[in-house]
Amino acid sequence: MRTPLFDRRDFLKAAGASFVAALAPAAQARTAEADALFASAYQNRGGGFGVAILTEQGKIVHSVDLPDRGHDITFDPVSRRSVVFARQPGTFAVVFDHTNKAEPVTIPSVAGRHFFGHGVFSPDGKLLYATENDFDNSEGMIGIYDATDAFRRIGEFPTHGVGPHELLLCPDGKTLAIANGGIETHPDFGAAKLNIPTMKPSLVFVDRETGDLVESHELPPALHKLSIRHMDFDRDGTLWFGCQHEGPATERPALVGRARMGERFELVDLPETALIGLRNYVGSVAANPAAGTVAISSPQGNSLVVLDAVTGAVASVRDLTEVCGIAPDSAGFLASTGTGEIVPPEGSAHSDPHYVWDNHMLRIEG
Amino acid sequence: MRFFLSAIAALASFCASPALAANATIEKAIDGFVRPAYADLHTAAAKETGDMQALCAEPSPENLAAVQKNFVALVSAWSQVEIIRFGPVTEENRQDRILFWPDRKSIGLKQVQAALADKDPTASDPARLAGKSVAMQGLGALEFVLFGTGSETLKAPGDPYRCSYGLAIAQNLEEMAKTISEAWQDPSGIARTWANPGPDNALYRTDDEALTELFDVFVHGLEMVRDVRLNGFLGQTPDDDRPKQAIFWRSGATVISLGENLAGMKALFEASGLADLLPSDSGWIADSIGFEFNTAQTMIGHEPVPITEILASDHRGGLPAFRLITSHLSELFGVNLSAALGLSAGFSSLDGD
Repeated sequence: MRTPLFDRRDFLKAAGASFVAALAPAAQARTAEADALFASAYQNRGGGFGVAILTEQGKIVHSVDLPDRGHDITFDPVSRRSVVFARQPGTFAVVFDHTNKAEPVTIPSVAGRHFFGHGVFSPDGKLLYATENDFDNSEGMIGIYDATDAFRRIGEFPTHGVGPHELLLCPDGKTLAIANGGIETHPDFGAAKLNIPTMKPSLVFVDRETGDLVESHELPPALHKLSIRHMDFDRDGTLWFGCQHEGPATERPALVGRARMGERFELVDLPETALIGLRNYVGSVAANPAAGTVAISSPQGNSLVVLDAVTGAVASVRDLTEVCGIAPDSAGFLASTGTGEIVPPEGSAHSDPHYVWDNHMLRIEG
Repeated sequence: MRFFLSAIAALASFCASPALAANATIEKAIDGFVRPAYADLHTAAAKETGDMQALCAEPSPENLAAVQKNFVALVSAWSQVEIIRFGPVTEENRQDRILFWPDRKSIGLKQVQAALADKDPTASDPARLAGKSVAMQGLGALEFVLFGTGSETLKAPGDPYRCSYGLAIAQNLEEMAKTISEAWQDPSGIARTWANPGPDNALYRTDDEALTELFDVFVHGLEMVRDVRLNGFLGQTPDDDRPKQAIFWRSGATVISLGENLAGMKALFEASGLADLLPSDSGWIADSIGFEFNTAQTMIGHEPVPITEILASDHRGGLPAFRLITSHLSELFGVNLSAALGLSAGFSSLDGD
């Protein structure tokens, strides 16, 4: 099930703390930087699916086979375990650590629900929350799992919308931000979108302890086909979100927005050339808090756009074929592509002919 | 901050850019498939309107049979061209207004039944029908009027409302088919945009992007036929079959529709000459695609038959084999053809996630 592992921390431990202490400060900083790892789901050339832990150089240090296609990954720094969620309408999530210490644990969906591909842990690592579909009732749900009890499902609460996609834990540690994409699907009919003419996406804030709806934001009626799907928090705690437009390709709605609980919810205009390059589809959103930037990727537009998180101005636009996975890395972003490349902020891309990368990449601090 | 949609007005900047060579493959796809297929849809819809008018003027078993027969022809025409899921059909919800399916919660069915029960005058007026729920104005609604409970009343005078509602649906379909067909005929419209990629083209910057749009028709079309249409009712075993989840089960046109979806893809593949772009050592891919398309048509029937009968017949009417062929074709297009043409199979971007 698992591939052999070269664990950098084991090396450092073996080398002894004195090895690190003996390094000059600049070298120590580089070590800390290099110690970050990244996680992404993949498909291999043989057609199999899995999830990998990677270095910045694109070297796979650990991988776990998956029964079907994965999507996003979340990490619990307390137990140092990750969870990869099946791509919608998948019915599994797999908990794994990055060493060979424990066998992966598979969390099956309960009857009447499937996963949407995203989830988060509570700050203490004791609970896992996942976006799920109550497909017979077309209602978004958050499934709650007890990480201290073999990830037993202990409850759920509604997302107050249809087709929830990404969810994040707010900086307060208490509230969940949930992107209700608004698109109704049912596993009987594959990926067919069942309600495009009447879809109504929303961004909601929900108290994770009570399930109470704290705030709900909707786009104006003229933009009801703008599916809110991916998000990240910037350095100031502002939530940036990215959208996918389900209306005609000739329409050019704004695709990026930002929100702060109790303060604002707004779309952000991009210059026309950057907007057109996104092809009405934002596949992933990631902030780099240290750099004060936010990146949005579009695999349909083959475009990676970096914004200044304060002004919203475009800092850079990069053409990358089928770019989607993005994660902060030093002063920029590490990106992965559907053609198998791992692209560092600077320097050349790394390509492994055996893998193509799924939509999301997670940074894991060493 | 912008809270409105800005449509790209006829791609005005495009005209100012230097002339680039048109993409011959896309031109052939448009002239050889898209335009004639939408023209056929318009013709079939116009015929349905005419037949409905005759039926409403003179309700009879013969006139009902004529309308029902042409309904199946209209389904065939739509099923060929519905694989084109970009361009004018995506404007103004036309795709869902022409065919709202699946109607999983029977929303459309209830609305149609309510209109019939209340003799809703706004539903029998094509102009006002076009502004109503998408589920009340397309092929699914017309199918219920013509084949659903109570349709036998169309054989004799006495219930003119049902016929007038059916006529309004047909007229509304005809109007949409006309609009889409004309938009594709427009020499400065979508046809020009798609066939002339370039840096100033707001939809297709490169030949690869234009070809990917074409290529995606096959990838998405096969996925739709298999994952959405077939798997919705065809179980892995006969015990899991759900015939009432089959598209067009009331008119017995289920399998005709599925067959015409693939026939449309075959026609588009041949018209576009995609095979001619293949390097010589990859010619086998086009041969295999052609073989699978042809085999698919021999697996299934081409006359209207209730889907329950088909599922109860030998080998369930060849549908499991037909499903397997769609998987072979998905692999041939998504893996082999895409690699040979250097087109991305859209691993990260296929279905919105």
